[in-house]
Amino acid sequence: MIGFTLRRLVLLLPVFFVVSLVVFFIIHLVPGDPIDNLLRAGSSPEQRLQIAAKYGLDRSLVEQYFTWMGRLLSGDLGTSIIQGRPVSALIARNLPFSLELGIAALLFSTLTGITAGVIAASYQGTRVDDVITGFILLGSTVPSFWLGLLLILVFAVWLGWVPVSGARGWSSLILPTIAAGLGGIALVARVTRIAMIETSRQDFVTLLHAKGLPPFIIQLRHVLRHAMVPVVTILSLRIGWVLGGAVTIEYVFARPGLGSLLIRALNQRDYPLVQGCLLMLAMAVIIGALIGDIVQAAMDPRQREVRA
Amino acid sequence: MLLDLEMLRIRFGAFSPVDQVTLSVDRGQILGIVGESGSGKSLTATAIMGLLPRIGGQVAAGTIRFDGTDLVGLPEREMRRLRGGRIALITQNPMTSLDSMMRIGPQIDQAARLHLGLSRSAARARSLELMADLRIPDPASVYDLFPHQLSGGMKQRIVIAMALAGDPELLIADEPTTALDVTVQAQIVQILVDLARQRGLGLILITHDMGVVAQACDRVAVMYCGRVVELAEVDALFEHPRHPYTQALIRCIPRHDMARGTMSAIPGIVPSAAAQPPGCRFNPRCARVADRCRVEIPELRVGASGNGVACHVAEAA
Repeated sequence: MIGFTLRRLVLLLPVFFVVSLVVFFIIHLVPGDPIDNLLRAGSSPEQRLQIAAKYGLDRSLVEQYFTWMGRLLSGDLGTSIIQGRPVSALIARNLPFSLELGIAALLFSTLTGITAGVIAASYQGTRVDDVITGFILLGSTVPSFWLGLLLILVFAVWLGWVPVSGARGWSSLILPTIAAGLGGIALVARVTRIAMIETSRQDFVTLLHAKGLPPFIIQLRHVLRHAMVPVVTILSLRIGWVLGGAVTIEYVFARPGLGSLLIRALNQRDYPLVQGCLLMLAMAVIIGALIGDIVQAAMDPRQREVRA
Repeated sequence: MLLDLEMLRIRFGAFSPVDQVTLSVDRGQILGIVGESGSGKSLTATAIMGLLPRIGGQVAAGTIRFDGTDLVGLPEREMRRLRGGRIALITQNPMTSLDSMMRIGPQIDQAARLHLGLSRSAARARSLELMADLRIPDPASVYDLFPHQLSGGMKQRIVIAMALAGDPELLIADEPTTALDVTVQAQIVQILVDLARQRGLGLILITHDMGVVAQACDRVAVMYCGRVVELAEVDALFEHPRHPYTQALIRCIPRHDMARGTMSAIPGIVPSAAAQPPGCRFNPRCARVADRCRVEIPELRVGASGNGVACHVAEAA
């Protein structure tokens, strides 16, 4: 297990290199540059060149990449061109809000999704299953920002139970968590349900019934354990989403966060900030996949043995 | 009688893939159920285990009397007490019959803890003893292995140990050797025969291998298209098969003194449950078919000897 984990960590190095390439160059495919945002109307071409030189934007892209990469390796993400503050400080200020919402939404959608999936699978073909499957369909089609607006209207404006927007206190986290978690619930519930139903058809489950074990023990102790393998895969993909996936929700609830920071940086062509944000999100996705692989390997005795 | 099936009919929606199944098995006795795939052998076993609802079927008519109690219509709670306790099942494919994510030992323990009320350590002791009885080498270390670390034959022994853990009186083995290497098949059959003889278990051995039947069984029920077509003692069955289907099955057993290219087969295929021929279900493939066979379904008539045949021609003879 430890050997497997170490090997996966070493494999991250080339992945990190490729990611850094993409993260650095992709923003340059977008027309425009940050200088336009810094110049006042009617500035002269000389002023333009002056600013370009100040931020190193007059040098070749390859040169710029190596400068950026060199700083990155010493832990420096650069300075925001527009805001004039270190990128790491801007990320550090926004990250906790993203983490708070992301983790809350992930936990909420995982727990609710697995529970709903298990119940639906256990009552397969009955009214209970129909209702849950219906909600799954609804959950995967309703846009989260629309649900967010609806939740604000009902619970904040009409009922006044929670704040309309902002990120102060735990009560302001409830609605965004529900809105951001809905898609996840539907996804996790659907995967759990199908995996449970497919596992139930296997011979070993028949034999468990033939032992006279109560069905809920069979479902929870045996079938669910097998069904968790694909669910972990889905979840490991969602871990990356935790940090940057809630952009629209951040907008709807006027919350700070990595997503809104990135969107603003993109609009202003704030190259270092865009690159810093993208790098954070990409690393979150990679680490999510890594955690998923390790958890999966730990779950399956066959993988445990082969990869140990 | 330990188990007595009378005129059992199994229904899936509009179809009745099993009908008029009558058979019985006593303590210490081995009943073979033979027939081609799709003849309803496994469904009959599933019905006895009370597991039909799990696959969408139900018993539509007839009785399944176990030690005097009719299992048809028995509340699920009571059925569950019998299942894995007094009645145990051994399935066909040991590769897929064990939970691949759970260690071997606890899987054997389950039935003993559930039905005999044993503690964790008592169940473990019992499992180790059962494993030793089944000639599993080094039970204590096998106990802690995962299923993928064992061979097919070993896994089938574990499945048998699992079945024995609840101290059953009736054991249903559904094609227990089909998925195994030929060399291992005989060992597994021998283990099952010994269990019936030494522990006095009633054993139902479902197979499509006439060789296994001849080697192991006391009595045989031959099934075709969901019906029992012949019920007889094993010697009588092989020496004087009465139903044309039984005769054809016995002709299909390869022998070493056969000339090259003379292996025989029964012409035609088993009709599906949705497309049963009128009259005797075997009539399109039968060598001795008479006009009556195409219209009238022959009934299984069981005599005082417990033997019987469902065939117009055989009865007339």
